[in-house]
Amino acid sequence: MTTKSKLYRKEAYWGYLFILPPVLGLLIFALFPVIYSVYGSFTDWDGLGQMNFIGLDNYKELFHDELFYKAMRNTLYMMLGIPLGLLLALMLALGLNRGIPGTTAFRVVYYVPVISSLAAISIMWNLAYNGDFGLVNQFLDLFGIKGPNWLMDKSTVKPAIMLMMIWKGLGYTMLLYLAALQSVPKDYYEAAELDGANAFSRLRHITWPMVKPVTFFVVVTNIIGGSQVFTEINIMTSTGGPEFSSASVVFYVWQKAFGNLQMGYASAMTVILGLFIFIVTLVQFKLDRSSEINE
Amino acid sequence: MKTKGWMTALTLVVSAGLVLTGCGGGNKDNEETKAPAESTSTSTTTTGDAGKTDLGKAELTFMFRGGPDEQTAYNKTVDQFEKDHPGVKVKVISTAADQYATKLKAAITGKSVPDVFYYDPGDLMAYANGGVLLNLTQYVENNKDIDINKIWQKGVDLYRYDGATVGQGDIYGLPKDLGPFSMGYNKTMFEKAGIALPDKDKPYTWDEFMNVAQQLTKDNNGDGKLDQWGTGLNVTWNLQSLVWSNGADWIDPTHTKVTVDDPKFAEALQYFADMQNKYHVTPSIAEAQTLDTYQRWMQGQIGFFPVGPWDMSTYEKLPFDYDLIPYPAGSTGQSATWLGSLGIGVSSKTKYPEAAAALTMYLTGSEEGMKLLSDAKVQIPNLTDMATTWAADASSKPANKEEFLQIVNEYGRPIPGILTYNAEWYNLFFTDIQPVLDGKITAADYVKEEQPKMQKLLDKAIESMNKSMNK
Repeated sequence: MTTKSKLYRKEAYWGYLFILPPVLGLLIFALFPVIYSVYGSFTDWDGLGQMNFIGLDNYKELFHDELFYKAMRNTLYMMLGIPLGLLLALMLALGLNRGIPGTTAFRVVYYVPVISSLAAISIMWNLAYNGDFGLVNQFLDLFGIKGPNWLMDKSTVKPAIMLMMIWKGLGYTMLLYLAALQSVPKDYYEAAELDGANAFSRLRHITWPMVKPVTFFVVVTNIIGGSQVFTEINIMTSTGGPEFSSASVVFYVWQKAFGNLQMGYASAMTVILGLFIFIVTLVQFKLDRSSEINE
Repeated sequence: MKTKGWMTALTLVVSAGLVLTGCGGGNKDNEETKAPAESTSTSTTTTGDAGKTDLGKAELTFMFRGGPDEQTAYNKTVDQFEKDHPGVKVKVISTAADQYATKLKAAITGKSVPDVFYYDPGDLMAYANGGVLLNLTQYVENNKDIDINKIWQKGVDLYRYDGATVGQGDIYGLPKDLGPFSMGYNKTMFEKAGIALPDKDKPYTWDEFMNVAQQLTKDNNGDGKLDQWGTGLNVTWNLQSLVWSNGADWIDPTHTKVTVDDPKFAEALQYFADMQNKYHVTPSIAEAQTLDTYQRWMQGQIGFFPVGPWDMSTYEKLPFDYDLIPYPAGSTGQSATWLGSLGIGVSSKTKYPEAAAALTMYLTGSEEGMKLLSDAKVQIPNLTDMATTWAADASSKPANKEEFLQIVNEYGRPIPGILTYNAEWYNLFFTDIQPVLDGKITAADYVKEEQPKMQKLLDKAIESMNKSMNK
């Protein structure tokens, strides 16, 4: 018995040693900063000098901060693009899955935005959205439509940025769907066809449930990513848009922390944002599990 | 067993390497802090014969930003500095302009500040109180190569701070440059339209300015659409001139009260909005807010447009002749505009304060350096006597370069946002301004509504400043 437990211990020792690098990485680069910023959120830290403990003052102030609510609403608004992107990606994947000629070329075309630098893409779309000489309005002009000055108008700036984000993420989601579609056994469809199911029922009762794990994965990651949207906002509307109408939470955090020397206050906002993401993801996992049981 | 031992070692090395590289990432900009202590002999002795100054051995990092022309000029200046100071090595880090502030603040928070770096004068109080900046006074006074009195006094004063007020006391940095924001006009357009050229010494009144702008706004090719406009200004950069020349300001002289609800302030803002909405002397509302007016000016479609020294190299190639004039004057009868600046400071944690201070002085006050930079047409010379010669040279555009110097010497003021601990209150004014520009609400209503919000942020900034002073 003793030898076995000795062997067991030895195995465990090796096991721990092998997971040491990633665990250390997690502790140093993820957990420590998180704890530090939670602590920072209870202080008046300005990012330069010492941190004085001020209890819940930052959080109390946050509740009355109009701009924080605005940034939160903007962030949620821009997440409305997620279902739209999902739908488009599924449609594209279904199209490409039919084996039409040029499939590879299309796949490449849709995937190019995914591998391009977000900063470069933002600058490009910034030009495209220019009210006067931008590509978007020039295109609309062909149909006699006078396009708005997209990024300068508070009613169009959010949809404009949303559209760009959909375009950027489309290829990635499409590829995931394509892979999922290709792994759906063909006999399911054959059986359904024999039973007289039409194309729509096949989509609804076979394809959709079969690709559901991908949908779930994409929704979860997109909501997490969408909560943290920053780069495109910062590049396309460097002051947070007209009347702060395109500022995301992370943009406001950045402005507070690095522009206005309020690292403590900014930390409080990140803690709230972190909690928000955590709760939303938790709910999603719960929902996913319950729907599995029902089927 | 032997293999296993080898594996252990490898695992440990890999994990250690991971940790070290990770930590090193943040510290990269500051390698000299790890340099051995024995190399810190930094006694300054001038060796008279070669004109070379011995600062001992030092390795400095210098972080800055700028366009390609500017980077070339600065790299050359740094090379020259290294030649004149054998033993001093300067590692230059340049970043994109829009990322600079974030990178610097991250470096400060991470306590790995470069030895010599650009900083915005608006951050002076925070950085001095926070112990980020080195007090340069003694180094500046003892420097034998460069005379501080030759640099614009107004520029140096922007970086003086006595612990309570900016503009007096010890020196915490030197101006990299001064940026007088002047007004230009398209001379060729005036001549074609047969309008008398504006006087370079007597500013227009607001009425005169609007009148001329209206005459310039027209349809030249007869297609029924306007293709030439009087002006096209950006509120963020041009409202100051109108407000100040009308006798109002964003903040009171004690820097504690937001004064935008002054009727004279509202009048100036209304005048600005009316240019678009009432008198239609600018391209349409939406277009004026983008870069378009800049593009249109360069294509010769705009009569009046602001000109900064940094524009000179680009405007050299304009297809028309342009020149500078004073800004139109409001009820005070005086022209007004802002005078920007960017500072160069030294980290309080530097191992080589003497060498770092010497580099700062060299970049801001050496004849060779300034010659390189003003030849690149990216700034006006920092040295007063050199600037006078430069302005008198009529062979390069614009002819009235003297206007830049007048702004520096006479009517230029700092942007209000830099006078306080942070500029949040000031920025809010421009964040919310769009409805006024669109003519949806009046300037009078806007300033009344905005003043309390701005005051609240200013109070917070003052509170933060007091806290940072007590530390």
